[in-house]
Amino acid sequence: MDGIIEIITQFAADEPAVFALIIGIIGAAVISGVVNVGAMLVIWGERKVLSDFCNRYGPNRVGGRWGILQLGADAIKLFTKEDIIPGDADKAVYVWAPIVASMATMLVAVAIPFGALHINGKDYPLVVANMDISALYVEAALSLMAIAVFMAGYSSNNKYSILGAFRGIARMIAYEVPMGVCVISVAVMAHSLNLVEIVESQTVWYVFAQPLGFVIFVIALITDLGRIPFDQSEAEEEIISGYNTEYSGIRWGLLYFQEYNNALLGSILLSLLFLGGWHGPIIPIPILDIISPLIWLFMKVVIVLWFFIWVRSSLFRLRIDQVTNFGWKWMLPLSLLNLGWAVLIGSYFA
Amino acid sequence: MAGEPMAVVNYIPLIIFLIMGAIVPIAALAAIKIIAPNKPKRQKLSIYEGGLKPIRDAKIQYSVQYYLFAIVFVIFDVEVLFLYPWIYVYANKAMQQFMIYGFMNYAVFEMLLFIVVLLVGLIYAIKKEALRWV
Repeated sequence: MDGIIEIITQFAADEPAVFALIIGIIGAAVISGVVNVGAMLVIWGERKVLSDFCNRYGPNRVGGRWGILQLGADAIKLFTKEDIIPGDADKAVYVWAPIVASMATMLVAVAIPFGALHINGKDYPLVVANMDISALYVEAALSLMAIAVFMAGYSSNNKYSILGAFRGIARMIAYEVPMGVCVISVAVMAHSLNLVEIVESQTVWYVFAQPLGFVIFVIALITDLGRIPFDQSEAEEEIISGYNTEYSGIRWGLLYFQEYNNALLGSILLSLLFLGGWHGPIIPIPILDIISPLIWLFMKVVIVLWFFIWVRSSLFRLRIDQVTNFGWKWMLPLSLLNLGWAVLIGSYFA
Repeated sequence: MAGEPMAVVNYIPLIIFLIMGAIVPIAALAAIKIIAPNKPKRQKLSIYEGGLKPIRDAKIQYSVQYYLFAIVFVIFDVEVLFLYPWIYVYANKAMQQFMIYGFMNYAVFEMLLFIVVLLVGLIYAIKKEALRWV
């Protein structure tokens, strides 16, 4: 095992360009597979958990008792539906919106560490592009989804879609600043913007070091992902389906799917920044001890996703003016307060 | 603390991921060209608007209040952008030698000043009702 790692690190030092190319190609294939399958499981899990909250069965016909193949059936249906592009739509933008959404999620995935391997007492993080500024980069790439939403809404030439698109942008910009300040507060304590270093510096999880920042970040993240208390851009009861009213078939499926891709990546980001990432006691069983950091991260991500679904089933949708008001008048000053707290704790008590 | 400045080659995976992100949906859209039926009709291609014929173009002019949000956002986003490089100044060991009044790091003091000035701006914007949704 040591020999292999040594050869790889030596090769990475000698031929950085070739190494980056190989890592990029392998990573793109593996991670797009992992993220897409993961998002499918998230959709299935959400339907199952939501139905539990509502005291009903949820999908239970296709693929045995648990309805695990429901999404395969849904995909077949979406692929064989008639492809309709509205006559008045701006065709190029309309077609490109789902593609841009998919590109945005892949751009998030490139810099997120998906865990670590524990070999001989050392953690080797599994990340494709280990940037110095990956926290800033991931946060920026997460908000690219808003551009795809705006493209979809504006090009549809439908009044409901336009309202949804404008609401989406207003909501995103109101919560982008508090979210950024929370990432900065974490980075102040970690003395770095690199996600791997942020995880490594968490001897105390940051959720305990700065609880206020954690709450603000969770709210801002839910807003960024457009999930239920903050899904004004697709509020069904008011504006039909918001920005994707005119989308149908697989074009709609792609947009819907990217939302869940983003939810998965966002919950990984939350676990990395505040919940100690892959930290946890090493399981003293051969093989399992190597992947035990992966298991811990996976468990944290599942808990975060379950929490998101819980929030969705418990809370009602807020009005858009309430959302923007709350963002500008409460979240922003509170996040700055949290930054001061982080500087205070980081400077004098660490 | 960050070590060496990052080489450009480390950003190669970004381009590969970008291409990969485009390939998957383009493949899906190519697939429906083959397997999905396509029988366009005028009614089918019309915009949905409560079941009636759509009235006028949907590309409306939005309220000017909406653009004030954008302006305030630009100001505060630039503030956040200044905070990112500030972290490395703050974390720098040499910088922590500079103390003001014996207790406060120089970098912290400067950022405090910056944030206070911007907070005054935020309070002004709220008082002037620039951030009211109409």
